Amino acid sequence: MTIKFIRDHGQHYRPRMACLAKVEAMVLEMQDSKSGVKSSEQKLNITSIPHVVTGQDILAWIANHMKVDAQEAQTIGTMLVAYGFIYPLQDHKKLILKPDVSLYRFQTPYFWPVQKWKADNTDYAIYLAKRNIRKKGTLDVYEQEYYKNLHKWLNHKWDFIVMQAKEQYRAGKERNKADRVVFDCQERAYWIVHRPPPRTHSAMDYGVDRLIDPNAEENKTFDYYRRIIIFTQQAIMRSKVKSTVSLGAILKHMTTYKDHDPFLAPCLPSNPWQTDDSSYWDLNMRNVEIPTKMRVERWSFSFFELLNDPRGRTDFKVFLKKEFSGENLAFWEAAEEMKWGTASSISEKAQTIFKTFLAPGAPRWINIDGRTMGLTVKGLEHPHRYVLDAAQTHIFMLMKKDTFYRYLKSPVYKDIQKKALSPAPHNFTPSQLEQNAQNRKPGINPIIIWQQEEEERAKAAAAAGPIDIKKLMASKLDRK
Amino acid sequence: MNRWRRSVGEIQARRRQVSECEQAQSALSKVTACYQQMATCLGSNTDGSSLREELEETRALAHRICTGMHRRLLALLAETEQVQEDREQVERMWVLFLCALENFQQDLRKVSILQETFPLGQRKDRRALVNTGATGGGSEVAGRAATVQTPWVTTEGEKKPDLKSHVLEIDGLLQEMLQRVNVPLWSVEPTQNAWGEGCGDAQDEDDTLEEIMEVEVVSQDNRASGCCNHSNCKLGCIFCLLN
Repeated sequence: MTIKFIRDHGQHYRPRMACLAKVEAMVLEMQDSKSGVKSSEQKLNITSIPHVVTGQDILAWIANHMKVDAQEAQTIGTMLVAYGFIYPLQDHKKLILKPDVSLYRFQTPYFWPVQKWKADNTDYAIYLAKRNIRKKGTLDVYEQEYYKNLHKWLNHKWDFIVMQAKEQYRAGKERNKADRVVFDCQERAYWIVHRPPPRTHSAMDYGVDRLIDPNAEENKTFDYYRRIIIFTQQAIMRSKVKSTVSLGAILKHMTTYKDHDPFLAPCLPSNPWQTDDSSYWDLNMRNVEIPTKMRVERWSFSFFELLNDPRGRTDFKVFLKKEFSGENLAFWEAAEEMKWGTASSISEKAQTIFKTFLAPGAPRWINIDGRTMGLTVKGLEHPHRYVLDAAQTHIFMLMKKDTFYRYLKSPVYKDIQKKALSPAPHNFTPSQLEQNAQNRKPGINPIIIWQQEEEERAKAAAAAGPIDIKKLMASKLDRK
Repeated sequence: MNRWRRSVGEIQARRRQVSECEQAQSALSKVTACYQQMATCLGSNTDGSSLREELEETRALAHRICTGMHRRLLALLAETEQVQEDREQVERMWVLFLCALENFQQDLRKVSILQETFPLGQRKDRRALVNTGATGGGSEVAGRAATVQTPWVTTEGEKKPDLKSHVLEIDGLLQEMLQRVNVPLWSVEPTQNAWGEGCGDAQDEDDTLEEIMEVEVVSQDNRASGCCNHSNCKLGCIFCLLN
């Protein structure tokens, strides 16, 4: 028994899959004996099973019925297979539509995907137990993993699961041989859709569960109309941009980032989510000594990228130290710290920032225009989190327009470009992939990373403090 | 009052009730399994009014078993003085009964929606059924379901509810059972081990699905990959399987 009667305010509803209704309509049209897809018989050793269709027939029908070209028909057909309305008879684990004579059959409506209900773990456990009863040792590795986990989670129901599996097996045996084969194929196809084998894509993937039932009609009460009115008023008030401008911006962004997107270009050495090998993450850690070439290239795209990447920021700091103009970046970092820090430390930070950066004659005085300076100083009398925003933006633009371009042409940057790594792409065999999947380890504890960063910050603060002349002279004298 | 004070008759009556409930549990399992097997034919080319009638009858049988078992289990659990091993067994049956009810309710919901999506009233509706490749209807399965007997006398002549109200009734039943009896679900230990169901009676000449389909692929290809091309060469086929 699963505890279903929870009256909480959590998210329990699956998002709307409107395509399912449309696909169902299309599948029903395919059944028409005159205008539907041609079917033939599948010959097995023991018997023959009717209503089998070839991939190319399905494709031709889709292209004809929906008036699309072959490529589009292929995509639509693959969608039908991926959702589980049609299942392949050969190579059953790969849910694609092959445009040749490979055979497919239609899934019975009992096993069609439904938006409202998830495929239940209890049912999956019963299915696996049934497979076990039929013949021991036919479960795949991933299915055995599932079995072990389900036995742990559903331990209190296990008697029921075994009993039901036995009874379902015996009930299935009552039917004739051909029907049994058909039913087994149907069930197997259903579970491949809803519990996909590892490293395959699943069409039933979705993001998060929703708070309200997308199928339920909303009552048009006073609150509903009030919400709609507020929404449209805000939409009118929003500032608008010409579509040519925004499209140009999207185009520019896409052409710049095309090679850096892990969906569009292969990420070197290999995508950890696909191959379970974490070298990509190790090479791109926050404080790695030598960054990768892709990362260094990314810094040149915009100043924002450079500042956001911690490794880029340290490199920029090195450059600024050489130029003796580190106060801009220091001010920017201090303002960031105030923005993101605790509320209790705001007034204290405001004081230090004023003394270090803004006061006339301060040791690291920043050069901002008079109006902004006046506003900021006045705001610092009653400091809040965003009091330094105007000054911070000004400094950011200053650095971006001037220092950033000098950095990109500087020997520091060129040096790091030369030193950057370009890892070779991995080429794993399927057995190596299985090995990788079993050797997965958890990453570094984020607390440890935070501690390391705190230490570095303390060291930097100590190094940046005012140099004590007496101590320096004393050490020099000592050496002599 | 310790157990020695209870009369032999009481203990025997209780044992009989417990074994009745166990029989009812396996009967319910059988009936729900048959119901599911028949429900997979809904909407396919083997669908028909006879299938739907058989579904209704099976559902009525299940309803009778459920209501009887519910009453008896409540009576068994409500007794305050318990013998230890009896209590564990009764609690296990209680939890299994809840699971079976929930499973059956899910099937009922699916059947209700399928019956609405594929109405069989008019002639044109028959064209909209999905050709799944099955040839037989569920009549053999229905026959199996019909052989199930409730272990108690069916003098309780309750009217069977229609499909939608049956679903709601089970909802109410589940909620009531969870509230009335305080049995924590996770305290039940199963009697079966993991992988235990595999070693058993069912290892007869049943081939796995993979083997049946494999042989079919090979014979279709006619490229016998190393062994002879003879269609009657059983030996060659087995070699191909091992490949």
